[in-house]
Amino acid sequence: MFVKQILRDMNKASLLQCLCFLIAISAFFALSSPAFITSVNVVNILTASSVIGLMAVGSTFVIASGAIDLSTAAIMALASVVCAWTAQNLHLSGLPSICVATAVGGLCGVVTGLLINLTRAPSFIITLGMLSIYRALAYILTGGIPIYGLDEGITKIAEAQWLGLSFPALIMLGGMLAGYLILTRTRFGTHTLLLGDNPAASQAMGLQVPRLRLAIFALAGCLSGLAGFIFMARTNSGDPTAGMNYELIAITAVVLGGANLFGGRAAIPGTLAGILCLGVLQNGLNLMAISTFYQTLFVGVVLILASFLRRVGPEQ
Amino acid sequence: MSELQLNAVVKTFGATTVLQGISTNFAGGTVTAIVGDNGAGKSTLCKTIAGVYHPDSGEISLDGLKLNNLGPHETREAGIEMIYQELALAKQHDVVSNLFFGREKTRWLGWLDRKAMMEQSQIVLDTMGIALPSLKREVGLLSGGQQQAVAIARALLFSPRVLIMDEPTAALAVREIEHTLELIKKLKERGLIVILISHRLNDVFAVSDRIIALRSGTIVADQMVHETSMQEVVSQIMIA
Repeated sequence: MFVKQILRDMNKASLLQCLCFLIAISAFFALSSPAFITSVNVVNILTASSVIGLMAVGSTFVIASGAIDLSTAAIMALASVVCAWTAQNLHLSGLPSICVATAVGGLCGVVTGLLINLTRAPSFIITLGMLSIYRALAYILTGGIPIYGLDEGITKIAEAQWLGLSFPALIMLGGMLAGYLILTRTRFGTHTLLLGDNPAASQAMGLQVPRLRLAIFALAGCLSGLAGFIFMARTNSGDPTAGMNYELIAITAVVLGGANLFGGRAAIPGTLAGILCLGVLQNGLNLMAISTFYQTLFVGVVLILASFLRRVGPEQ
Repeated sequence: MSELQLNAVVKTFGATTVLQGISTNFAGGTVTAIVGDNGAGKSTLCKTIAGVYHPDSGEISLDGLKLNNLGPHETREAGIEMIYQELALAKQHDVVSNLFFGREKTRWLGWLDRKAMMEQSQIVLDTMGIALPSLKREVGLLSGGQQQAVAIARALLFSPRVLIMDEPTAALAVREIEHTLELIKKLKERGLIVILISHRLNDVFAVSDRIIALRSGTIVADQMVHETSMQEVVSQIMIA
């Protein structure tokens, strides 16, 4: 039943195209490099995708509601910096640090949501502004110098494994599952999609639109904060430059997964497939020793190709 | 039978007074048509009753309950439903999601009870004789008449006392108009207060018991359908 429901959502979100692409590039890289199709490399792809994956879950909710959040990576960097500072100065270990990073992210999301509600300006403008503000705060707090040397309890989280998967990958997959259930099975998720589908109707039907929008941005902020913790744990530092342009990659993954950029339609399985597409692409190109400059170029090409395929695909 | 009362309702937007002290009442089991030229205040009046706008002064009450400061959600809870001209449907969503738009059934922690929603949807559609291809069909893929039927079914799902319909036949084909008018007659038989805004006087005369003509935010005529004619209504709307 659960699988059937996921398949239904997959169809809805044009995920099939994304999966076909994922299989195609995986087959290509498997043929090109023997190291690609090993269990270690698969875990590597999932681990490397964990930070952007969590941000993409939040972005899925924001895009589903008809908005856009360009500040997720800046929130991630700010959360990692604040978390590293508190971990060092207050001697916090793993779990309290996760709470700090998530709370900082959530607070940033609330501020962004409040500003959008108060100004009634497009989310694009407000989050573009907040991107600069959060990033600047991260620089100001650190003086531009990363905070190194964290508690072992924190770095061990990044290295821990369970069932052959790294802890960051497990957190991402857990976030994906939770996001899927919230988006498809709860009133909050339904209202998020309905708001994106028809904002005027949502207002007329009595949805508490400002409160809903606030909750959506708070959720996206929490997930960015959590992503910030993972980034910090993996690099053993709170880095103000962390995740430059990650917000665009997260949005790319959501759109690749079949979400409607204008709202009303988005699916977490699609986002996961989008994240895996980008992760496999980057990993495969790395194994083929292709320069990162070309990797960025490929991401752009993939996004445009996916948009084109969707326009000429059967759903249209 | 329910009674909706309006007493000296005034609504302004900036310097423009759109409703200039509207006083009237609506009784259950009757269809009242509100007619008027563009800008006469028909939609504003209905949206004020539905809680989308708050009146600047005056009083709106349903069976003694004051509605003046209630929002759309509270007004719906009080038993007033409005079907908007643009239908206010989420077209990328299925029929069930649209029927329960904003009032989803949940079990715990906001967890949707899809099964109960499906069952209740089917019951209300069967009761109203509305046939749809599937409850899981995206509303945007339905015909105009079917979308109208979904909007009507949504309004009836929680047994309202008042149903306001803004231009329900404006975008429909002839057969779909007939079906919608039949639905309106059924609603009247169920004892609802039905308020109908329409430019189509043929439709108004086919289903209404009473016609209120508005001009520049004031009531210029209030009469029973059998006491008037189309020509007279047109002249009331047009002639100052």
